[in-house]
Amino acid sequence: MSGHTEILSLRSVGHSFGGFSVLKNVNFSVPHGSIVGLIGPNGSGKTTLFNVISGYIRHQHGLVAYDGHNMQAESIQARSSAGLVRTFQTPKVFEQMTVLENIMAGACKLTRSGVIEDIFSLPRSRADMRRIFELAEEACLKFGMEKLRHDLALRLPAGQRRVLEIARAVIGRPRLLMLDEPSSGLNTNEIASLRRWIEQLRAEGIAILLVSHDMELMTVADCVHVLYFGEIIASGGMDEIQKNTQVREVYLGA
Amino acid sequence: MKASRSLVILLSIAVCVALPPFLPRHFVDLLVFAGIYTVAGLGVGLLLGQCGIANLGQIVFYAIGAYATAYLTVYVQAPAMVGFVVGMLISAALALTIGWPILRLTGYFLALATLAMGIVANALFFEWDWLTGGTLGIGGIPKLQIFSFVLDTPLRFYYLVLGVVAICLLLAHNLIRSRTGLALRAMRDSQDAAISLAVNPRALRTRIFILSALLGSVAGSLFAHYGGFANVQSFGIEKSINFLLIPVLGGATSLIGVVVGALFIAVVPELLSQFGGLHQILFGVALIGVVVLMPAGLTGALAEVWRRSAEGARP
Repeated sequence: MSGHTEILSLRSVGHSFGGFSVLKNVNFSVPHGSIVGLIGPNGSGKTTLFNVISGYIRHQHGLVAYDGHNMQAESIQARSSAGLVRTFQTPKVFEQMTVLENIMAGACKLTRSGVIEDIFSLPRSRADMRRIFELAEEACLKFGMEKLRHDLALRLPAGQRRVLEIARAVIGRPRLLMLDEPSSGLNTNEIASLRRWIEQLRAEGIAILLVSHDMELMTVADCVHVLYFGEIIASGGMDEIQKNTQVREVYLGA
Repeated sequence: MKASRSLVILLSIAVCVALPPFLPRHFVDLLVFAGIYTVAGLGVGLLLGQCGIANLGQIVFYAIGAYATAYLTVYVQAPAMVGFVVGMLISAALALTIGWPILRLTGYFLALATLAMGIVANALFFEWDWLTGGTLGIGGIPKLQIFSFVLDTPLRFYYLVLGVVAICLLLAHNLIRSRTGLALRAMRDSQDAAISLAVNPRALRTRIFILSALLGSVAGSLFAHYGGFANVQSFGIEKSINFLLIPVLGGATSLIGVVVGALFIAVVPELLSQFGGLHQILFGVALIGVVVLMPAGLTGALAEVWRRSAEGARP
């Protein structure tokens, strides 16, 4: 771990689509091993912010620093390799692959065999596949998907797709895991499991940036930021946020 | 299931090895072409089945392999292996040069770009008669020989092609079962998600495009040695369409599907030729029938029948 206390730091981040500002002077940070929540009404810029941090959108103003490094010029793949991994608002699973293969795909970046080694099935290629397979089997057990592991992802219900996407992100050993609406489509038991996994991942030292409309789940966060029309209008613990008059007016309801 | 699959593969290999000596020469000739098409179609199949790329330009690399072999063995009197290697090197370099810019495209745009590549190449092969012999082509390409054993009959050449097909299928199997195969299929199913897992689609696609070009070139060199000539009429765009049809008909995600598709393309038109002028129409109807009734290809349909019968047999 580096000397920085924050794994992610955003300073005066701004972005516009055409003439419309979707992010305005956004400042916040995610300390190592913490859970930070991001809430706000639909259209407030949460997903755009996720896209900026993960590199899908190149922001126009401000600084996004990951582990002390400016990420402006870094590709999505470079960020992912450095441990900055995200999930999507609508789960994007690999539908024609099995559950096990989906999870294995998440571990490919931990290995280094090249196409030539793979074509000729050289020792490093075989060792890489054994490692990926073992890690994926462990992840299947950890996320309760062992009975589904040979099913095509295409056949999974919405809730299981979301769990699969999280398992696939976690197997790649992230240092900052960005979860976009992870509880959407999950039933009460599954949300309880999700909460346990999130807490367990934090205990393993993984920082989490969590976007969710589920205020119950959001209580897992150490700090919550409220985004409204591209600006952070409040920050603090969930109890504090729920008492904030402005937040109640614009998002939570009186 | 796994044991029965292995048994089917072993039986198929036994049939491929033991049966041809008892077949008419004309039929063995068709099997040689099916083998050559398998090699070229395998490249297209890897792109289509593993990367989701429809390549309509495989004829370019097939022709480069054939012309490299023809030019070097006839005009330079180089050994056959030199023709194979030079064809592969030129194909790989061209695939890298063309692939890097066009593989940024996706879907129909990429398919059209590969189609354009085939059309331009065909025009160049036609115009550059100082190199390709134009419409007359280059004839007198020597028969392949292994030490002093000359492969001068369809049966002898068949066993060489069978070996090449087996090696190519084995290597493709390795690739599909590796981390590269996982990354390819991930990219095919959801590029956004694959990128978030550090997969680099453009670099990976370019590598598979080069691999596909190498297979096309090897197939072209084999074709030149077998036919003894290489001329521009053999490298029209309709041949590229046939190469794309191979994985589409057989089943793009299956290696066996490529073999089945190549057999279909090589053998069915000949079987239909007894109907005279109608045979092309009948072939077209057969193609439409397979594509409409079996969207996962012939092997996909067979696998479905197998799966259902296995489920039905379960108590």
